[in-house]
Amino acid sequence: MPEATVGQELAELRVRVTRSTVVRYSGASTDFNEIHFSDRHARAIGLPSVVAHGMWTMGAGLKVVTDWVGDPGRVVSYFVRFTRPVAVPDTDEGTEVVYTGKVTKVDDGVATVAITATCGDDQVLGAAKAEVRID
Amino acid sequence: MPITPEHVGRRYPAAPAYVVSRAKIAEFADALCDDNPAYRGDEPVAPPTFAAVIAAQAWDALFGDEELGLALNRTMHADQTFTFRRPLRPDDAVIAQLSIEKVRNRGNLDMVTVLVDLAVDGETVCEARSTLMHTGEDADA
Repeated sequence: MPEATVGQELAELRVRVTRSTVVRYSGASTDFNEIHFSDRHARAIGLPSVVAHGMWTMGAGLKVVTDWVGDPGRVVSYFVRFTRPVAVPDTDEGTEVVYTGKVTKVDDGVATVAITATCGDDQVLGAAKAEVRID
Repeated sequence: MPITPEHVGRRYPAAPAYVVSRAKIAEFADALCDDNPAYRGDEPVAPPTFAAVIAAQAWDALFGDEELGLALNRTMHADQTFTFRRPLRPDDAVIAQLSIEKVRNRGNLDMVTVLVDLAVDGETVCEARSTLMHTGEDADA
């Protein structure tokens, strides 16, 4: 197990997301909401275009923590607020979500990690944090 | 009749058991762009947020409850919490049961917190708590 100290910053994670990524998550999660593959449906509810699933944005970001501790079975809790959608343009490059993690508390063998997720200028997750066993 | 705080505590019959498979775990990890070897090989565990895939199936009971008048296409997922007792593994037969934990009505907006308990062999392995923001049908604004 890595040492954990309050204030410690975990390795930044950059995840490229294209329309293919979004379609793949639709299939894997069985969430077939049209806003994740149809610009027409997305615009009808005021979104700029097809957006990534909030649960994808949440799930992909946990890698910041699980890459640090190795074993995903060490995660004891995970919270996020969905603040902004990740709009995914229909281009080869798509867009990119950048995740950071910082240890904010170490108590009784459990480290709390505050996670940020940024896409362009937008914070796409709010108050995100995971608790992970480090004993 | 819309959803009100009086519906707090309502608990729905469990959805049919969801049996976790190696193939689905690997497919889900690929979809998260996560190459962690723990999700592959002979004894994989599921990515923690895979629990949402099973929990979402329990949401059907909520949206199918005509008394509440909730529509999926007027619902936004505001926040999500998971607490994990142990990771999900292949062959786990997961029973997901949804209950309504909190309801706040603010004008045309309903904030509903639902808890989905995921259990294997009668023991809770994960709790998935979601706050859903629902906009009523008569929204003029």
